[in-house]
Amino acid sequence: MDEKFEPKITAFVCNWCTYAGADLTGTSRIKYQSNVRVLRVPCTGRIDYMMVLKALHKGADGVIVSGCHPNDCHYTSGNYHARRRWMVFKKMMEVMGVDMRRITFSWVSAAEGARWAQLVNEVTDQVRALGPYAEFRQIIGAGIE
Amino acid sequence: MEAVNQRAKELLEKGEIKAVLGYAKGTGHVRRPHFARKAGQVDQLVLDAACLQNLAVYVTKHEVKKLGKVAVIALPATQRAILQLMAERQLRDGELVILAVDGEAVKELDSAAALEEHLALKAQGLDAKDKALLAELDAMSREQRWVYWQNELSRCMKCYACRNSCPMCYCGTCTMDCNRPQWVPVASHGIGNLEYHAVRTMHLAGRCVECGECGRACPVGIPVHLLTFAAEESIHEQFGQRAGAKAKLDYALSTFKTDDKESFIR
Amino acid sequence: MSRIGVFTCHCGENIGATVDCVKVAEMCKDIPGVVHSVEYKYMCSDPGQRQMQEAIKEHQLDGVVVAACSPRMHEPTFRRAAGDAGINPYMCEMANLREHCSWVHEKGDATTQKAADLIRVLVEKVKHNEPLHPIKVPVTRTAMVIGGGVGGIQVALDIANGGHKVVLVEKSPSIGGHMSQLSETFPTLDCSQCILTPRMVEAAQHPNITLMTYSEVEKVDGFIGNFKVTVRKKARKLDEKLCTGCGLCIQKCPNKKISDEFNEGLGTRTAIYVPFPQAVPNKPVIDLQNCTYYKTGKCKVCEKMCPTNAIRFDQEDELVTLDIGAIVLATGFKLMKTDAFPEYGYGKHKDIIDGMQFERLASASGPTSGVMKRPSDGKEPETVVFIACSGSRDRAKGVPYCSKICCMYTAKHAMLYKHKVHSGKAYVFYMDIRAAGKDYDEFVRRAIEEDEVKYIRGRVSKIYEEDGKLIVMGADTLMGGEPVVIKADMVVLATAVQSNDRSEELAQTLHVSYDSYGFFAEAHPKLRPVETNTAGIFLAGACQAPRDIPETVAQASGAAAKVVGLFSNDELTREPIVAVVNRQAAPVYSTCVGCFLCQGACPYQAIEQEEIKARSGEVIMTLARINPGLCQGCGTCVATCRTKAIDLQGFSNEQIYAELMTL
Repeated sequence: MDEKFEPKITAFVCNWCTYAGADLTGTSRIKYQSNVRVLRVPCTGRIDYMMVLKALHKGADGVIVSGCHPNDCHYTSGNYHARRRWMVFKKMMEVMGVDMRRITFSWVSAAEGARWAQLVNEVTDQVRALGPYAEFRQIIGAGIE
Repeated sequence: MEAVNQRAKELLEKGEIKAVLGYAKGTGHVRRPHFARKAGQVDQLVLDAACLQNLAVYVTKHEVKKLGKVAVIALPATQRAILQLMAERQLRDGELVILAVDGEAVKELDSAAALEEHLALKAQGLDAKDKALLAELDAMSREQRWVYWQNELSRCMKCYACRNSCPMCYCGTCTMDCNRPQWVPVASHGIGNLEYHAVRTMHLAGRCVECGECGRACPVGIPVHLLTFAAEESIHEQFGQRAGAKAKLDYALSTFKTDDKESFIR
Repeated sequence: MSRIGVFTCHCGENIGATVDCVKVAEMCKDIPGVVHSVEYKYMCSDPGQRQMQEAIKEHQLDGVVVAACSPRMHEPTFRRAAGDAGINPYMCEMANLREHCSWVHEKGDATTQKAADLIRVLVEKVKHNEPLHPIKVPVTRTAMVIGGGVGGIQVALDIANGGHKVVLVEKSPSIGGHMSQLSETFPTLDCSQCILTPRMVEAAQHPNITLMTYSEVEKVDGFIGNFKVTVRKKARKLDEKLCTGCGLCIQKCPNKKISDEFNEGLGTRTAIYVPFPQAVPNKPVIDLQNCTYYKTGKCKVCEKMCPTNAIRFDQEDELVTLDIGAIVLATGFKLMKTDAFPEYGYGKHKDIIDGMQFERLASASGPTSGVMKRPSDGKEPETVVFIACSGSRDRAKGVPYCSKICCMYTAKHAMLYKHKVHSGKAYVFYMDIRAAGKDYDEFVRRAIEEDEVKYIRGRVSKIYEEDGKLIVMGADTLMGGEPVVIKADMVVLATAVQSNDRSEELAQTLHVSYDSYGFFAEAHPKLRPVETNTAGIFLAGACQAPRDIPETVAQASGAAAKVVGLFSNDELTREPIVAVVNRQAAPVYSTCVGCFLCQGACPYQAIEQEEIKARSGEVIMTLARINPGLCQGCGTCVATCRTKAIDLQGFSNEQIYAELMTL
């Protein structure tokens, strides 16, 4: 394994809770590792599982999907729908043998700045320890694009 | 069979229906779908253990809808598919005459409500062979499953037979054909195949009536039906919902409970 | 080819100290489509914004990425500035270099690289941005207030005085609500009816207010500014135009022994009745359950007696559909009944009453004309025990919350009793005294110090009857839990405030959220306390949570201000971040297949059916259509749609895909 391996982490976050929470991490000047790239969507309900697959396709070694805690959705129930979608998606990914240690689902509220930093650090460390997602990179390599 | 054919003839003669959709003899042991459009053709219809195909795939087709009212000889899986299609507003009450065949018994139904009532009496479950295959998959390690599916999917050439044989894949424009953006690569390479089958499974999760047609249709023998079966079974386990069981749409992925139980969200 | 400008902000030292902004601006020049990339100390300052606007004109930019702070902070600023410079405001996006990069990472190449990456993502997004235009929705300037208690009356009067039409819907025969039943109010002890009735009359006579009493909301369609509300006007069995309110029918009605709801079962009324003498409108209704004519087919005494021939036995319920621009919910609360307490005898003892029954006993217009008489035998009670927190803050009763008003009204009750029965003894069992409010604590002190009400901190475990006395078994926790036994003549339970009957049903009709106790949920607990999550529907009073009169009235005026604000424009302007179902030329029409699986996923019921018809009028297909007035832009339907027929403006599939492809 490459000694200088730095994982690529893609995060999909909702505008109202986790994105705002990550803003609070900034305003509180809490430091975390810089591997993560955040994509903002209005709500976790907007997060299509295709986005997660595409992130892996583009070589992400880890993916974070995060939104409002149950009951706190800005749109009342978008996160509940998202939760169901993830419950099914996760099961399906497991059946297909995808390494689910690389996909982290979480709830981070707008008040949980410290939690966002902690989450990013934990995921980054975990994925760094797992190494590059070799299996997936192999099938991407098989693509003729 | 006698009774079904008799009734089909009657309906055709009276002009109440334009055709009967059932099975006829194909090459060897194969049974192929058959539209009997005249009373005289009804005798070509057969019904035996070799009749497997889910005929519901035809009833949403433009060409069939154009015929007018059609009677369908519907085995249990076909019945479930028709009910799910009705819940998804692809078929209306009274648009079909459903000749529901369950072993020896035959029942004539024409509405979603009647189908729901009829199907409620029967337990739905996978057959022993598929259950064993799923259990086998389950017993593998994650890495083994990955290798297993990569092996299987390496034969996939994206002929879309699995999609085209599925009664629930009735969309006019499939996501696979969506090119702005091109979510799923067209080519049948590693990532293209993985994403295609992932999308197919997600689209059928909560809608799969577990007929297994996709697996039978695959010309290279990939057990693709196990993917949708696994998704469907997990939905039933987690949320208690089943596709092809309700006249009113009860789609697991557009409903929720505030106390849905999961253990993986941090 | 796009012509995109990138403007990187140092934010003084905030970004500049950790990110090499000069280098970032240089790196961005290499992104395909970027024709202009500069950095500046403070982009949000006037000179910064002007610099951006001049660059837009000079370089004919068609898209802008401002790499500065969080879009949650300055997106509106830069979009406005971009709009003023002549491009569509929605062609401007922000890369968050401050909160998501410079403030959270150490200075170094990796951080600078991340900053450039963040910009690259947004540049790709902007390439796929479409010019969007704010959605204009017309507004019907008529408000509906549901609930005619003090809260509803206040909302109606405030909106009406603001010059707009109001329809006030009340389910019972008269407006007035719980406040009309009260004897005196805390902390001033002024007579409740004396202050309320003028307001009731004012509401009835206001030219802008239409009263719909004895009516209930049946159905609500539409969206903010454009609701269609169907109201069921229940049949009073009376022509209201002819009735003069003389009351002859009531006097002559032979059926006089019906338990009176207004007096909380402590008095009786007739089958044709007005709830109370000051009722507004002062027109009777016939109680179908108890009217002799409806039970036996004979009687019609009221019809014979009526001098104006106003009685209409054949009158039916009427459904009225109204165009409404905004709705205010002020449906109030109910009190837990005494039968919910097995430890206090399941409501079997006539002399164990709830707070509202005590109000009627103490009221000058009540069944005893305000003389203290206990319900069982009409004797003056010599010892009265008041139990606060009866049901409230009790998980076992399903009410973990504080009912908020009971501490105050219990003090008031004890005081009123002492004022009426000078020799009487009043005991209050309490958990805590919560008397936060102007002059509230002083009021409680007055009850204890001047009126000598005995406050005992502890719970009552059991009440039973013995020799005509109610034996109250309690404990005094301030005396080390010592048992206290009081032989009382009457016990008043300050029972819990609960959400009104059928409030959940009403919430579902209006598509507003509610909590697990059936109270309507506000849009934000602190910053949007009078709004619901459904645009155009507001809240006032105890339908949201237990409230006292001053709070209810204040919230009512707040809700009214929101409505008047909404009505101050001809059109509503909304962010165009909404979902859209694609439409294509015939014979495809749309990639939507009309399965309507998306409908269940929409939190706002914004997905409608649209029929595509041939010239002959034949329906070719039924497709989904999203009502832009209702859609809030969460995008849940977009992710649910299999054929990608739905897309979300501002966060479209193409935009997100492009962003992902740069990573």
